[in-house]
Amino acid sequence: MNPILEHLKNKNLLWQANHTSQIAYANSTGFSELDQQLQGGFPQNGVIDIESPIGIGELRLLLPDLLTRQQSGDRLLVFIAPPMLLNSEMLAEFGFELHRVLILKTISSAQSLWCAEQCLASGCCYSVVLWQHDIAINQVKRLHLAADKGDALITMLRQQKTVQTALPVSLALRLRAQPQGLHVEVTKRKGAWPSSAFTVDMSNKWPELNCQSIAENVVQFPNRHSQIA
Amino acid sequence: MLWLYLDFPNLQLDALLAQVQGEKMPPLVILDQRSHNIVQVSAKARAVGINLNMGLGTAAALAQDLQVVPYEPKINDNKLQEIAEILYLSTSDISFFAPQGLLLRINHMLRLYGDLANYWQVIKNQLAPLKLTYHYATGHSPLAAKILAKKKWDTISDDLRLLHHNISQCQLYETDISPKTQQQLTRVGVRTIQDLFAISFADMAKRFDIGLVNYLGRLSAEFKHPIEFYHPPEIFKRYMELLFDIDNSQFLHRPLGHLLQALEQFLKLRDRLTQTLIILFYQREHEPIEWTIGSQQGEYLASRWQALIKIKLEQLRLDSAVYAINLTTGQTQIRSPDKGDLFSAKQGTLSRLQLVSLLQAKLGEKAVMSPIVNDDYRPEHAANYAPPVLLDESNHNVSHILQAMRPSFLLTPPQPLREKVSIVHGPERLNTGWWDNRTVVRDYYIARNQQGQWYWVFKEQDAVWYLHGVFS
Repeated sequence: MNPILEHLKNKNLLWQANHTSQIAYANSTGFSELDQQLQGGFPQNGVIDIESPIGIGELRLLLPDLLTRQQSGDRLLVFIAPPMLLNSEMLAEFGFELHRVLILKTISSAQSLWCAEQCLASGCCYSVVLWQHDIAINQVKRLHLAADKGDALITMLRQQKTVQTALPVSLALRLRAQPQGLHVEVTKRKGAWPSSAFTVDMSNKWPELNCQSIAENVVQFPNRHSQIA
Repeated sequence: MLWLYLDFPNLQLDALLAQVQGEKMPPLVILDQRSHNIVQVSAKARAVGINLNMGLGTAAALAQDLQVVPYEPKINDNKLQEIAEILYLSTSDISFFAPQGLLLRINHMLRLYGDLANYWQVIKNQLAPLKLTYHYATGHSPLAAKILAKKKWDTISDDLRLLHHNISQCQLYETDISPKTQQQLTRVGVRTIQDLFAISFADMAKRFDIGLVNYLGRLSAEFKHPIEFYHPPEIFKRYMELLFDIDNSQFLHRPLGHLLQALEQFLKLRDRLTQTLIILFYQREHEPIEWTIGSQQGEYLASRWQALIKIKLEQLRLDSAVYAINLTTGQTQIRSPDKGDLFSAKQGTLSRLQLVSLLQAKLGEKAVMSPIVNDDYRPEHAANYAPPVLLDESNHNVSHILQAMRPSFLLTPPQPLREKVSIVHGPERLNTGWWDNRTVVRDYYIARNQQGQWYWVFKEQDAVWYLHGVFS
């Protein structure tokens, strides 16, 4: 090898493409399709950006992972600025220990980000779920640093992304509604190649939230009624 | 018995100048408003020729940019208290000699420190960080030490002959004998202490009042001099007058920092923690603002309190300029060491309680909540929030039966349904609440709208449809 190159390499001044740090995707998301596509699951720490309309199952996609993480330690789960009243009955029913859940109400997005950063860096929260509309690149970087410091994962749930350059997040997903679950598109993933969109089937975990596919020769009752009328 | 007297002639001035270390200050004098005489003079003012007991007019003529502060006995007392608190760390018997003196009983302490020189070194080191002007002297009686210190003898000695000699050389006007008696004594030719001691007490009692005899008896240590010694206070309480009025709340953190440092030292030495601080901001033209700052976890470190106070200061609105701050602690408790896991991989910078305190300081107490579940079938009553209780875990176990299929979000209150939805699952009938006049008779359904959002809708008896939740 070129001695200059070798010298630079030894001094750690030279970056090579095969040096990309391997991100551990070791936490199973609880959905086999998603685990397969993400080669293991959600990252251990970092920032996840999810773009999704409200109410299609975006939170349910996270819940199994949040629950396993809660059970594996004694740290806190923090929800920041949920758009509506977060139902404690649902959390309890799913198996969360409620006294290790914090819900923060904030009055501005700057305050939300401040809280998120503090919670992440504190080291006593394993995960933060943040509802946020807009976020700038430097703010994502700050969240990243805080998450690394406190070994925590932050998930940002955003409704409609405004026109924006790519954010330096660990994982970005775009979700669409599907009768049986969610249509997931991985828009960005650190240290991996982009993959095509796929469907996550949630009907095993939530059989009630599932539209049965109806055979073509069956006419639904109200429709028939209206036809007769 | 051996006594040490410390005389602090510039207490108020030193208290003011301690706030502005190393900054450029105009000449500063403290003025007694009753006599209109200057009672304390800063080094800069002395350099331009201002002296004690000078009139204000003369002083102002000597220095154009002269800054004049009225004399406040309260500040003097506070500062003296503070000095006593610090000295108490190395010497046990301290007594106040108002307005500006402290008396220490040495002979008991010499056993601990070995010899006098060593002891004095320790006392000097304790006083050094305070940057005070002081004069000192030892004496065989409290009053002897006081006279010599006031004379600026500035000598530490346990040689009784030397002490006696110096005392006997003192003039009458240097003692605390009342002016009237002094005049009487001068008329009969008594000018020094030595002359006084030449007269026997019996003769003296015949011609002069009994006060003089008592004084001389105490001075020569023949009479007992009752001294009340200082006991350190249980709680921290400190008042600080600011050098300048502050009307921008952001600038308040610096003087507060001085107070918090003192608090830290106070608590650290007693190995105690406090959960609340009460801060009073005295405003020039309005009522004082009282602030209570809480930390869920007991703290003593100034830096931790400063972080909380910094957040609170952002929200402080001042009506007029602040001229003084008072800091008091609430209940204190003995510190118990943290039982953290030494081998867990990541060590966080904050504990759970510290994080909650931090968030509460920023958002307010009501914005930091933990979910709880009440034993009720009505969803809006079952789901509730409570302030986070992070220590007692037993209360939070949900014991009653939980209902299946509840939405992640609830609308409060339920909104009329205005969308076309198709029902996927249901009904689930709730007929409850007849006992508290909030009867609920509802049929709940899970529905899906055109956009694929999962709704939790209900129909009341009068066939009105409402949207109550969203399955997120």
